[in-house]
Amino acid sequence: MYLQFAVPLALTIVAIGLVAGLLGLQKLLSPSNPFARKLMPYECGEPPTGRAWINFNVRFYLIALIFVIFEVEVAFVYPIAAVYLDWVKQGHRLYALSEILIFLMILFVGLVYVWVKHDLEWVKKVPETGG
Amino acid sequence: MSLLNTFPEYTLTTRTDELLNWMRKSSIWYMLFGLACCAIELMHTGGPRADIDRFGASPRASARQSDLMIIAGTLTLKMALRTRLLYDQMPDPKYVISMGSCSNCGGLFQFAYSVCDGVDKILPVDVYVPGCPPRPEALTEGLLKLQEKMMTERWLTRSNGAREKAA
Amino acid sequence: MEPLKIYELVKERFGDRVLEIADKKPDPFCVIDPKSIVEVCQFLHDDPQTAIDALSNETGVDYKDRIEVVYHLFSYRHRHTAVLKVKLPRENPSVATLENIWKSANWMEREIFDLIGVNFEGHSDLRRILMPEDWEGHPLRKDFVEPLEYHGISTVRESPIVRLEAGKK
Repeated sequence: MYLQFAVPLALTIVAIGLVAGLLGLQKLLSPSNPFARKLMPYECGEPPTGRAWINFNVRFYLIALIFVIFEVEVAFVYPIAAVYLDWVKQGHRLYALSEILIFLMILFVGLVYVWVKHDLEWVKKVPETGG
Repeated sequence: MSLLNTFPEYTLTTRTDELLNWMRKSSIWYMLFGLACCAIELMHTGGPRADIDRFGASPRASARQSDLMIIAGTLTLKMALRTRLLYDQMPDPKYVISMGSCSNCGGLFQFAYSVCDGVDKILPVDVYVPGCPPRPEALTEGLLKLQEKMMTERWLTRSNGAREKAA
Repeated sequence: MEPLKIYELVKERFGDRVLEIADKKPDPFCVIDPKSIVEVCQFLHDDPQTAIDALSNETGVDYKDRIEVVYHLFSYRHRHTAVLKVKLPRENPSVATLENIWKSANWMEREIFDLIGVNFEGHSDLRRILMPEDWEGHPLRKDFVEPLEYHGISTVRESPIVRLEAGKK
């Protein structure tokens, strides 16, 4: 009954088995000699100074956020595109089109907002306030 | 539960040792540690004409990804401390080639106040390549000597004390 | 302009603060009183006839009885050179910095401080530039004694002649 999952199962077993086998071989066969100086953070030979946790600029977070939202949107559009022709053949043409268009319009409003607020620019130009 | 150096010398274990050594010697990733003029010859040896990439040796910039450190150039006392730290941060098994007179023994600058006479004052060296600077062919021969040395190592079989590294 | 003419100009302006004008080969030089070196250099920098806009080199020299700081000056506009010297005593040698006139003096004075030990008053960042930060002593002084070890690395070297003669027998 679940025969279509035979190939993914085989692949999963090979993948996990390969990784486990190689890591296991490494645990058995490789020389391991950890000591404090070796495990120090690498800083091209200089002893490290300062903390490793520093403040990142928030623009990285903004780009990641916008990417995630529109990537998920694309992920939702793919299955619609796969079954779209079937739905059209069954006669639900208008329903299918309007559904997907409403979805895209809602997210398009979000895109326009982000665009107008200059969040797509890497260096955000803040408008000069009149003084 | 490491299996290193635990087996007696049977055909299987010695042949596996040879296999492991062959794998290690055919893929030596060296750290670009050019300090002075020998660095130019090191670059040439890695370049197209006298290629050590044909022996599998690929240049790495970071100590964490390399298993060979080619000290090419004069080692000053200021740099010696950092060289020792970089050597400590390389993962095992690691090897050192001392290239050129300056890193073998201080070379031309032995009597200077700031020069460390030879990198073997701070690191254990496997192969010394003489020259000022050594030709790319000389460095290639040094690498081949190191490969011969690697083939004598024992991983599964019990060590015969041939490879005693200072900690 | 010939270097000697530049020195004559300086002597007219500063009189007895110019200690000596020497016409030596390859470069004639002029010895200035250490306390007025900044004024002299400011004058050479500002005066349109000399217009020295570059300090091309600054070094320190350790003679047995004194320490000298030598300044090699160059003008891009008129393409002439001048050499000034300042003689300092060997105990606590100290002279004012030229960093405010020519920025290239910054590193050069750090080098002289590092290797000879001359203190430059008014320097913004006087610390060692070539030797390690925790090095003791000034290596290019004539009475410098090499330390026996640095952080555990011994600086004693065996003479190769010893080994050769041992091998011959």
